[in-house]
Amino acid sequence: MSDQPTEGAKPAPIVSRHDPRYEVTMYRYVGVDGAHKLDFYRSHGGYEAARKALTEMTPAQVIDEVKASGLRGRGGAGFPTGVKWSFMAPPDGKPRYLVCNADESEPGSFKDRYIMEDDPHQLIEGMIIAAYAMHATSSFLYVRGEYYLGYERTLAAIEEAREAGFLGENILGTDFSFDIVMHRGAGAYICGEETALMNSLEGLRATPRLKPPFPAAAGMYGRPTTINNVTTLTSVVHIINKGAAWFESMGTDDSKGTKLYQISGPVKRTGVYEMPMGASFRELIYDFAGGPTMEPKAFIPGGSSTPMFPWEDRFLDMPMDYGTLAKNGSMLGTGGVIVIPREKCIVNALYNVVRFYSHESCGKCTPCREGVGHWLPRMYQKLLAGQGSLADVELLESVAGNIRGNAFCPLADACIMPVQASLKWFHEEYEYLATNGKSKYAKNDWWQA
Amino acid sequence: MSEPTDITPFFADKQEFVAEVLSRYPDEGRRSAIMPLLWEVQRTELYVSDSRVREIAEIVDTTATEVKGVLSFYSTYHEQPVGKFHVQICSTLSCALAGADEMYDFLVEELGIVHGETSADGHFSLQKVECVGSCGTAPVLQVNDTYYERVGRGRCQHLLDALRQGEMPAPWRERGGDTEGAEKPAALDHTAAPGDRRGEG
Repeated sequence: MSDQPTEGAKPAPIVSRHDPRYEVTMYRYVGVDGAHKLDFYRSHGGYEAARKALTEMTPAQVIDEVKASGLRGRGGAGFPTGVKWSFMAPPDGKPRYLVCNADESEPGSFKDRYIMEDDPHQLIEGMIIAAYAMHATSSFLYVRGEYYLGYERTLAAIEEAREAGFLGENILGTDFSFDIVMHRGAGAYICGEETALMNSLEGLRATPRLKPPFPAAAGMYGRPTTINNVTTLTSVVHIINKGAAWFESMGTDDSKGTKLYQISGPVKRTGVYEMPMGASFRELIYDFAGGPTMEPKAFIPGGSSTPMFPWEDRFLDMPMDYGTLAKNGSMLGTGGVIVIPREKCIVNALYNVVRFYSHESCGKCTPCREGVGHWLPRMYQKLLAGQGSLADVELLESVAGNIRGNAFCPLADACIMPVQASLKWFHEEYEYLATNGKSKYAKNDWWQA
Repeated sequence: MSEPTDITPFFADKQEFVAEVLSRYPDEGRRSAIMPLLWEVQRTELYVSDSRVREIAEIVDTTATEVKGVLSFYSTYHEQPVGKFHVQICSTLSCALAGADEMYDFLVEELGIVHGETSADGHFSLQKVECVGSCGTAPVLQVNDTYYERVGRGRCQHLLDALRQGEMPAPWRERGGDTEGAEKPAALDHTAAPGDRRGEG
């Protein structure tokens, strides 16, 4: 390091992957042949964090370390993880659960899949540490049904870990006992909502529950439960290994550590990139993904439910952290960036997004079932069929405004917010379509050789 | 829909499996076994018939209506038989930007079936699905449980040819991003830590 900080001064945080102090951690072994096996994992320092937590730290110390690290939930909502863990009701000798949400379904997100396929022991280790911290007696790993390879590999890894004494009775010779049950979902985006996921796990239709009670008080089977995302748990492994101060040395004021950003759409190198929090969209899109391959006009910052931004310097140069995105009317979400090219009709692109949420609306509450499930897709169909008018665009805005904030769970808003953002930034495309009966952009073949 | 009543029970000779599934959940959570039991039926029979719904209801001590309610909620369970090769085309945004709509039209043309249909010989079925989590390697086809990624026109034709012969080609696994060693920009070399995966395999 060339610029040693002066005595007493705190070194500047790492907010770019170009910073020489930065190193890849969570995504280090994804893509390496054989990395999903226990032998590989252990020979690369695997399960040392679990050993450290279980043999050198008390559960309260683990929670304090995670709190001090500043880790916030990586599933999209960004709630501080250590705080969430501390909400668990005190142990009373009865079962208490950790649930790993691996129902990764947000369009534009695909980070958890590769962890489960290529580095499942990292996730298992994170679950062991989290369970120890919360005195969890058992856990469920809820993996989306489509991720079959990830399911098979993680299941095999759980068996390996059990045989090696990392799961089961008296782990690592301590009096801590804990195990993981894998449960396959079957295609329901709503399971990303933690109470819907619990209903699904309980063998019910996956509709969300009324809160309170919160899961930490009464969750799975009415017992205290904490639900964490895959990469929240894998982050914990490195926090315990390297210490909270290391994690906290990266990122911005309200967003610490590293995150797996995903990028898709027309860029040169789509995929998953681990970067420090606070790296800019430009760094991800240009330096790592190699830049757009078609002229871009917008990007979705963190998965389909996060409001899009037009392709302008002021947005491209924003740090990818929770606070900045929120301040600018969007969200960090899952960190799934989607680049939208100029030639893609924005109304068509949003119809695609709306159709997704329409398909995934669970039907529990009226605003979402009727508004997102039926009204919105039909209004988009009418516009795209060339049968709309400017009054329909106004009606669309009115319907969206009436749904927002009025649904039972965040799914409806996840649909409405991107719709409203598209209307805000690309109103003229809606107007053009409504007035002319055809899209401003005519490109209709996107399939490559 | 009336069904013959003398159907061989599916779980009769799988008691050990059923017991293992039930043991994953606490006693008060017997219903949790519904989804894994549905998966087991579908894996063997390619769909879940009403008689299997009744069997599962009996195992978990609930009504057939309750099990049917679960079955019908989730999009990857089938209530009608699907083909030997169930071709699922992801249609969500990133795949659409990579040609999923055009690929769907191509498949309809080639297979002679549309979304939700199974070919008369039971060889193929086609389903438009929502995001399967492969946005970085779009467009993607999922055939039964296997992902085929970055399916351009050539790969799609090649895949169809093989499936028609009754063969599932080995998937070309791609992850993009940080695992794309060959195309890694040189400027990033300094970020590689010792033992880092880049440069290996």
